[in-house]
Amino acid sequence: MSLIRLALRNIAGNTFRSFVVLLCALLISGMALTTGMILFGADNSLRLAMDRLGADIIVVPEGAADRVESALLMGRPTQSWMPASVVDRVAAAMDVQAVSPQLYLATLSNASCCTVSDMFLIAYDPRTDFVVTPWLEKTIGGVLRLGEVIGGADVFVPAGEEGIKLYGYHVALKAKMEPTGTGLDRSLFLTIETAQEMARVSRIKAEKPLEIPQNSVSAVMVKVRPGCNPRAVALNILVHISGVTPILSPDMFQSQRKELTALRNGVVMALIITLVFSVLLIGLVFSMAANERRRELGVLRALGATRSFVFQVLLSEAGLLAMYGGVAGAALTILAVVLFRKLIIATLGIPFLVPALPMLAALILGGLACSLLTVMLAAMLPAYRISHEDPSIAMRE
Amino acid sequence: MIVFENVTKAYPVDKKNRVIALQEVNLEIPHGAFLVITGRSGSGKTTLLNLAAGLTRPTAGRVLFEDVDWRSLPDHRQSLLRNHKIGFVFQFPSLLPSLTALENVALPRIFDQGRARQGAYERARGLLRSLALGDKLGAYPRQLSVGQQQRLVIARALLNEPEILLADEPTSDLDEQTESEIMELFRQLHANTGITIVLVTHSTQLIRYGTHSIKMADGRVLPCSLLEK
Repeated sequence: MSLIRLALRNIAGNTFRSFVVLLCALLISGMALTTGMILFGADNSLRLAMDRLGADIIVVPEGAADRVESALLMGRPTQSWMPASVVDRVAAAMDVQAVSPQLYLATLSNASCCTVSDMFLIAYDPRTDFVVTPWLEKTIGGVLRLGEVIGGADVFVPAGEEGIKLYGYHVALKAKMEPTGTGLDRSLFLTIETAQEMARVSRIKAEKPLEIPQNSVSAVMVKVRPGCNPRAVALNILVHISGVTPILSPDMFQSQRKELTALRNGVVMALIITLVFSVLLIGLVFSMAANERRRELGVLRALGATRSFVFQVLLSEAGLLAMYGGVAGAALTILAVVLFRKLIIATLGIPFLVPALPMLAALILGGLACSLLTVMLAAMLPAYRISHEDPSIAMRE
Repeated sequence: MIVFENVTKAYPVDKKNRVIALQEVNLEIPHGAFLVITGRSGSGKTTLLNLAAGLTRPTAGRVLFEDVDWRSLPDHRQSLLRNHKIGFVFQFPSLLPSLTALENVALPRIFDQGRARQGAYERARGLLRSLALGDKLGAYPRQLSVGQQQRLVIARALLNEPEILLADEPTSDLDEQTESEIMELFRQLHANTGITIVLVTHSTQLIRYGTHSIKMADGRVLPCSLLEK
């Protein structure tokens, strides 16, 4: 028999107190972990999405900024067009090092000619592209040819089929990108040449043809010269080129960032309220349980237990319950987040990626520490009070 | 030897009032005695026992255990002394319900960090066998009769081979037959080991089991009541 074993037996022998403390610990650890996972995951998603876009500035048609951001972030397809001449005008702007046009397209809804409904398609120009091409060279050691596409992490070829059907045109999925947790994971990248071929085939095979306006582009990716201020370049574009909106890479997803901040404030507040109520509830339950056990603890003192031993037994019970509840809370949270990630994204309107293992481990430890500290803090006072009581009075009760 | 020198003990009832449980008690409990303390409820018997074990501090006077004033010892030394030298048998159910009979008996050994715990179960088994509880090692207290539970408590009190056994109304919840069995057990224990026993009871019938007896009333030891038979 050891102190821990005695504590374990006491836990098993006091089901009501154990259940309440376990539940509180589970809630605290679960809430702390959920908060951490969503906030870090959302932050990570936004950062990865920006990295994936790989440009210092994205120039889009005037008034289309929000829709383009929403398309890139949440995978809600959009089509917006501006004259192709914008590409040359942007390239001519001061301190611009490189530009590359992109076309934003979408598959049809519930059409037999498209394997996937409402999929966001990003067509790029391989001659000027500095976003997708370097990644392709690094991963598959080549470029996309006609009829080839690369997909986000959630794109797959349906079972039993050789490729993906878009407007009745079959494309081969050449590679898949790392997950970002954003709409880019459900998007396809293809060359403009493939997009135009798809548009041509669609006139014969698709339920509705794919329309790509002549001499139009959806966005212009801009890389500024090293050492130059992208903000000044964006301002220059805004002033000198009419009908376009330049979006600075760090300013991307501003509305989502605002939502994220509001969400962060909300969940942190909920977490604080949970912590405070848990401390009060656990403190109350521990006081009640300790009062019920005064005689038992007095007997331990009579048998030779020191005050410190009694204190340690009570705190060990609290600590063990906190750990059990904390681990259960962490496990349930991870399970829920993994199983219901898409539902959470849809509900919150903010994408997030389950953090990588080291970060996840740190968040789990943080959640456990939160639950352990809260329970220990709540149990400290009743444990101290009862362990320092005169055993003769405790046994008389 | 336990010595009470002019000991008074008062318990606070509320912020203003207090109740005096023991008044100016002077008493010497000699080594090897089987002292039976009788008296009505509220006469101060249990308080005397608690003071003897250093479980509470006197309001005035001092209690010496083997010539050492309990108050001069820090908590860990007091606890160690109780653990090594005093065995307790309580009036109320004092077994831990979540522990088996064997674990309950071996329990006092875990409080002493410096003592080997391996032998505790061995000794506990031996004690339980000698008290006819050898077949109840894995039983939980609720699965035992009141008499068996009290024998279990006695076994626990004897685990660390104490020099003194303090028993507070150990037979108050027992029927006549079981009461005499338990009292006989105390007598044999005293006769075979020479252990000092201080037994508190409201029943004057039990005086016959002891070597000494005193009577208490209103927190005082009645004059000339320490009898050696």
